[in-house]
Amino acid sequence: MKHLSALSEAVIKGDLEAAGAATQKAIEAGIDPQTILDQGLISAMDVVGERFAQGAMFVPQMLRSAKTMQSCVALLKPHFQAGTVSTKGIIVMGTVKADLHDIGKNLVAMMLEGAGFTIIDLGVDVAPEAFVRTVSEKNPQIVGMSALLSTTMPSMASTIEALKQAGLREHVQVMIGGAPVTAKFAEEIGADRYAPDAGAAVATAKKLLNIT
Amino acid sequence: MSNLPIPTFQPRLQVLSRAQALAIHAAALEILEKTGIKMEHAQARAMLIAAGAKPLADDWIRIPGYLVDDALRSAPRQIVLYDQNGNRAMPLEQDNFFFGTGSDTTFTLDLDSGQRRACVLNDTGRFARLVDALDNLSFVMSMSNPQDVPIIDFIYVYAFAEMVRNTNKPIVFIADRLEDITHIHQLACLVAGGEDALRRKPFLLNYSEAISPLRFPAHVVDRLMFCAAKEIPICLPSGSNAGGGAPVTLAGALALGIAENLTGLVIHQLTQRGAPFLFGPNVSAMDMKSTVVSYGCPEWSLTQAALADMRDHLYGLPIWSFAGASDAKTVDAQAGAEAMFSIITAMTSRCNLIHDVGYLEYGNMSSLEMVTLADELIAMARHFVKGIPVSPTTLALEALERVKAAGSKGIFLTDDHTFDHFEEALFLPTLIDRSRFDTWQDQGGQDMYRRSNARAREILAMHRLQPDKPPALLKEIDALLAKL
Repeated sequence: MKHLSALSEAVIKGDLEAAGAATQKAIEAGIDPQTILDQGLISAMDVVGERFAQGAMFVPQMLRSAKTMQSCVALLKPHFQAGTVSTKGIIVMGTVKADLHDIGKNLVAMMLEGAGFTIIDLGVDVAPEAFVRTVSEKNPQIVGMSALLSTTMPSMASTIEALKQAGLREHVQVMIGGAPVTAKFAEEIGADRYAPDAGAAVATAKKLLNIT
Repeated sequence: MSNLPIPTFQPRLQVLSRAQALAIHAAALEILEKTGIKMEHAQARAMLIAAGAKPLADDWIRIPGYLVDDALRSAPRQIVLYDQNGNRAMPLEQDNFFFGTGSDTTFTLDLDSGQRRACVLNDTGRFARLVDALDNLSFVMSMSNPQDVPIIDFIYVYAFAEMVRNTNKPIVFIADRLEDITHIHQLACLVAGGEDALRRKPFLLNYSEAISPLRFPAHVVDRLMFCAAKEIPICLPSGSNAGGGAPVTLAGALALGIAENLTGLVIHQLTQRGAPFLFGPNVSAMDMKSTVVSYGCPEWSLTQAALADMRDHLYGLPIWSFAGASDAKTVDAQAGAEAMFSIITAMTSRCNLIHDVGYLEYGNMSSLEMVTLADELIAMARHFVKGIPVSPTTLALEALERVKAAGSKGIFLTDDHTFDHFEEALFLPTLIDRSRFDTWQDQGGQDMYRRSNARAREILAMHRLQPDKPPALLKEIDALLAKL
């Protein structure tokens, strides 16, 4: 549909004004909001993710596209019946206990949001108990943990253990990342996946939940 | 009466005008006075407020310019680091430059397999011993986050002990919180022969970091105040990286990093007036594709040189710096190019304490080969920076007369003048290869990676500490570690 392709173009370009206008036009044309979200916005972010993975786009441009997409989602929200927005899934994210670094985690969160996931970001210095509490309250599909320091990595293992103790480990997939983290470490502590960067995190999240 | 000798000009890099330096400093002060910083350490916050800082919401405070001026005035203009036997080793002042390795790498390039693997304590020791042997490296850092330590919470204490065991040179170290830096300090007192001896002749310097933008976590400030009180030299560079924790435009990144550094200096001097503080932020760039903080980018070299200019125009304190590092994942042409670039700029701008030599993979991987080859790159740069001495001897007019007199057989290669002066006049490489093709091929046709690998092995096999560490001291260190 031409409304949706104009919208997608604007999101890919990161043109906030044009995207807002195109969203309005699409709403006024009577296109169903979930369709606008899926075919106008999320599909555009898929293209952005693809181009970024190929080195054809820079991170600030990708973030601008994500920001554009989020501003259009805000315009769409009032037009959804309460509770009917379907997202790709809920992901609880945090930097582990005693670690205060979050630039990487924040980038991953932004990219996952752009790809259509709902993110619950617990911030930094997140204790295993806090992860467990949020998982039991919000029923996410994925838990994402980040660490920058070798000394805080053990907290990832503690969190997985805490999820087990609470009987929640089977209900979520666990993804981990951060400069000192490796696929081998993920295996050792019983995490489901390791992702080396924000782009890979999106692909990994989709794979974990068997979605495209 | 002979004429006065012509002083030798030594090549010097300048990247900022005085006007630029003043404008960046003014912006740093404006950040402190108007935006403020987030001081999460309650005692430091109270101390700053008592001294004249103004509280904002939550942990934020504004710091008036006069506190900065006071601190810049009271901080010492020279910091002398000694070796572990109390000999004067690194006078950090004016134009003196000293190179050394880096800390905290998760991985290392295995000397035997050529593969990347996680670091162990043995690596910490080997990197220390390698630096101990190399002429152009003056201080040791861990080049590892050793995974096999008995208690992970004390990783930095074990790393420090391992460095002490394997070098007599000064050590720049990392710590996490008050508890482990206290143990490291105790260990250092054992080496120096008591707290007073250590205070007078410190062989160590602590490297701590605030978090850009504007965050001062409590455990970081704990270490800052501990070092001030004990007069352990310290640097507190935040990583104010362009496009990441700091503005993407370098002037803004410098202003922010300097503001954060000045905050540390103010707290430091209020804690102990006149205690030694090594100045300067780490202002690199975040790569816009991979989001890594780059260790090979030209921006970091530029901001380091800018910091040196700001030292000369304004601060007068010795500065912390970096060089000899790369984002490459192997010891290849990128590694050589990036390492050499920063070595030349750090040296020609006269940065004082220059760390991270030997880093690969943007600081995630250490390499014994890189350290070894960078040692030679530093020597080569040094030869250039020494300049061209002009004197009757170096103008060599007498030698020319002799060569002329020798007729068609005349060549300088055989002249006494060459024999007398070639070792001084020329740079004589050992790792850099200039041999004829056939010679090179006969010796195995090895590239720089292979040659530096062989040299590193050689050094590690042969090198002994001079003097050796006394067995009694090593026993005391073991006893301290056993009690952790």
